[in-house]
Amino acid sequence: MAESLLAVRGLSKHFVSGNETVPVIEKLSFTLGQGQSLALTGRSGSGKSTLLNLLCGLELADAGTIVLQGQVFETGAKIARQKAMKWSSLRRQQIGVVFQEANLMPALTLLENVQFRAQLAGRSTASSQDWLTRLDIGALAQRYPDQVSGGQRQRAALAMVFAMEPALILADEPTGSLDRHTADEVTQVLFDLQARYGCGLILATHDAELAAGCQQHLDLGHLSSL
Amino acid sequence: MKGLPSLLASFSLPGALFSHYRRHPLQLLALAVMIVLATMLWTGVNHLTSQARASLNQSEQAVAERQQVVRDDGQMLAVDDFVALRLVGVCVMPWLEVTPETGNRLVGIDPLAAYCFGSRNRPSPALDQPLNGKPFLDMGVATAIKSRDSRLYLLTPDTTQTADLPGGYQLTSFSTSPDTGELGDSFLLNLEALGILVLLITALLLRSVYLLGLVQRRDSFALLHRFGVSPDRVQRWLVFEILALALMCVVPGVGLGRWLAAGLGGGFGQALDGLFDIPLYAGQGQGWAMPVLVMLAVVVIACLGDLLLLRFRERLSLILPKTVYSGLAALLLVAGLAMAWLAPSLPWVFIAVALVFAGAGWLAPYAVARIARWCAGRSTKPLALWRYRELAVLARRLTLPLVALQFALAMVLAVQALVTTFEDTFDRWLGQRLEAAYYIEVPAGADGRQAAEWLTRQQTNTPGLQWHRVMRGQAQVTGTDNANNPQVDVFAVAPVGALIRSWSLLEAADQHWEALDSGSGVMINEQLARRQNLSVGNNLKLRLGNQQRVMPIQGIYPDYGRPVGEILLSAETLPDSFNVRFESFSVTPGKPGIAQMTDALQGIWQVEALSMRDNGTIRELATSVFDQTFALTRAMTLLTLILAAAALLMMGWVFFSTRAWYFRLLVAWGMSQRQVAGQLLRLALLLTGGIAVLALPLGIWLTWVLVHRINPLAFGWTLPMAVYPAFWFELGMLSLAVGLSIAALMRRQLGRPAVAPVSASALTGGER
Repeated sequence: MAESLLAVRGLSKHFVSGNETVPVIEKLSFTLGQGQSLALTGRSGSGKSTLLNLLCGLELADAGTIVLQGQVFETGAKIARQKAMKWSSLRRQQIGVVFQEANLMPALTLLENVQFRAQLAGRSTASSQDWLTRLDIGALAQRYPDQVSGGQRQRAALAMVFAMEPALILADEPTGSLDRHTADEVTQVLFDLQARYGCGLILATHDAELAAGCQQHLDLGHLSSL
Repeated sequence: MKGLPSLLASFSLPGALFSHYRRHPLQLLALAVMIVLATMLWTGVNHLTSQARASLNQSEQAVAERQQVVRDDGQMLAVDDFVALRLVGVCVMPWLEVTPETGNRLVGIDPLAAYCFGSRNRPSPALDQPLNGKPFLDMGVATAIKSRDSRLYLLTPDTTQTADLPGGYQLTSFSTSPDTGELGDSFLLNLEALGILVLLITALLLRSVYLLGLVQRRDSFALLHRFGVSPDRVQRWLVFEILALALMCVVPGVGLGRWLAAGLGGGFGQALDGLFDIPLYAGQGQGWAMPVLVMLAVVVIACLGDLLLLRFRERLSLILPKTVYSGLAALLLVAGLAMAWLAPSLPWVFIAVALVFAGAGWLAPYAVARIARWCAGRSTKPLALWRYRELAVLARRLTLPLVALQFALAMVLAVQALVTTFEDTFDRWLGQRLEAAYYIEVPAGADGRQAAEWLTRQQTNTPGLQWHRVMRGQAQVTGTDNANNPQVDVFAVAPVGALIRSWSLLEAADQHWEALDSGSGVMINEQLARRQNLSVGNNLKLRLGNQQRVMPIQGIYPDYGRPVGEILLSAETLPDSFNVRFESFSVTPGKPGIAQMTDALQGIWQVEALSMRDNGTIRELATSVFDQTFALTRAMTLLTLILAAAALLMMGWVFFSTRAWYFRLLVAWGMSQRQVAGQLLRLALLLTGGIAVLALPLGIWLTWVLVHRINPLAFGWTLPMAVYPAFWFELGMLSLAVGLSIAALMRRQLGRPAVAPVSASALTGGER
């Protein structure tokens, strides 16, 4: 087993709907090694997106512990400002998040989006154009998001993530809005680059084929722990 | 049976269309509230303006100069005089002014005696009021009152000639107060112009709120279109929807506006009553139909103008690229500015104002967006770049509420400057005209020269005594381009002392007062200067009595009370042939007090009482009327500003909410919520601050138009143009407060989970 990048222990999260408490994640535990990939599957509402949000600090767990790159987040208690700052710092520099859509700022060109993300992470913006080129959209660098196709936008989103040189990529249905052919192309690029640069990847998807490309698999519909 | 599905469909279509408001009841409420508030505001301003105009018209009629009969020997009139005049067939009406030992002045009248005036020539509209002691009462009651002072006047119609009078009597003018004249008219004209601006602003606000809902319903319309519902049918239902809503909201809005105007107008009425001792405020005279119809039209045009002009717009946008629109807006702006400068008449000035506002309103959001893009182009930091690009998007997307705020700010700025200018001018003008503590009429038949000699003797040993004698008559200006050789009023003054020398002049030569005093020059009022195109240094050719004179113009003075041309000269230079129609003294008695002076003058003129006015009291009362009007004007414009600010706040909040995903994206990318809130704050402040900066030149220009273009064209005189940077600062702070409020509302939203954009336009980044 590779050195641990992420360890999750006893993670629980529930939502309140009216007077009813709906458990979404219950006592979930798993680990992810450096450079490894994990597929999160499960039907809609099974908690895939919620888990990704918990893993990057966008939402707070009700109970459990997350250890990311040696930093421990006790999430049972109300999060302190210092913890929030730590999560922000991790998201800025170590965690790349890719959503199903709308990953780009509409008022910036593709290149400016990549530069923006790299600068936020404290990385050099010099290689931004290279990243776009590596993702086969170098010629579209000066275009705005509404001037390119959905697949090209997702490639740009991946370029943004890799330009920040993350330790962990959290991808929430990154090909959900794409056609099969484009989705395959984008997925291939994602796996290639993840393998080449050795960052961890957690991929939430409905797609069994896509999930099969990952080294580990966590089905939130059937398993409570791995 | 074929009709049933169609009937069902016709019921299900409105159901589907209106389901938007079932899901977004607050949006419907916002639209309804906006219609009610806009209607209330405009109705309030309009109602107040028309009431103020009616009131001032009545007051002018009440205090307008009329004719009275006086005795040649200067003695006070008595009942015997009334009898004597009526016996020879002269129409006179007794007017008995009584000052009770406690309380205000009362006027006893005999309405029966006034019948000879005829219905078209009533002695006073005040006589139409009930004789209830406020202040009019029946002559019999007035004579029975225990009073400190009383005096009988005999008023006579304008048609009465001196020749009609028996021996021992003559005609002279009669007035109860100074005439505020055109200053009031001018103010009301400007107020009406601003009322139109309020209507425009409310229309913009309505449109912005309505379009916001329409944009959110676009997907539903598209779906209905795919289901086979024709756009025409959808549009018909939309017309029905807005008309129904307008009908429900406009009527209560008009009611609220009238209530607002009545509440605010009460104080105005009291002030008028106090000034003229007559119940003058016109109250609730205006009907409901006109404001309801106007506001219905405004709502329909503001909300559905696009539908009505859809085809035209489509054709226009096919022909013209976007840049041409900015060019067209700039052209409108430049044309409006030029037209305002050169306009020969009022309608052209109003058209020019409309053009400038259209151009400025069209350009302002694009200007903010362009400046933001320029700043973005110079930014080296991607975060700053993003912020400026986002600002450009906001400026374009919030065009209507931003323009409404810009117009409201400009209007408030102009109104503030106008009102303050009017206040200053009015104070100064009253101060000039009422510089002396007392105004004393020389009794008919008495010689003013004897009194002048007595006052000259007193001057040396009475500290604080200031006075001058005024002889009024007429002269003819000759040798002008105007073939009519106009008649002008002559005010011959002597001595030219401190009471006159404190006058502020629009233009003057060196040593002008000395030149006037020595008789080597004249001064003229602004009206005469403008009409005859005269300026300081020109020679004025005059026929004074039977003499032809050429006198250099030493100064031009403002005169807001009278439309006629006027000349001020030294009484020492008057020829003997000059017909003195009226003579008076302006006196500040100094230490001994007025009682000693009146005793002396009564002795000189051999009269029992003097016709005398306490200028201080008149000034105080006159000021109170205008203060009240100015306060009302400020209150109404402030309400407009608050409405515009609230609309921008609402629209800003809603639109920022549509961008919430992207702000949350920043959080996902590692910025803390506090940092994102900081970016939000900077964006909101840049937006509202930017629009305030753009409103500033528009407001200053509007002030200039009001005082330097509309007034001269309407009345022949200008007001001094003043600017008030402290007030600009206050408005700037208010704009920033709106920005702060938007940011504060959005910060709360940042704490909640954001939903990814769902519309096709948003997904493709179409909000760029």
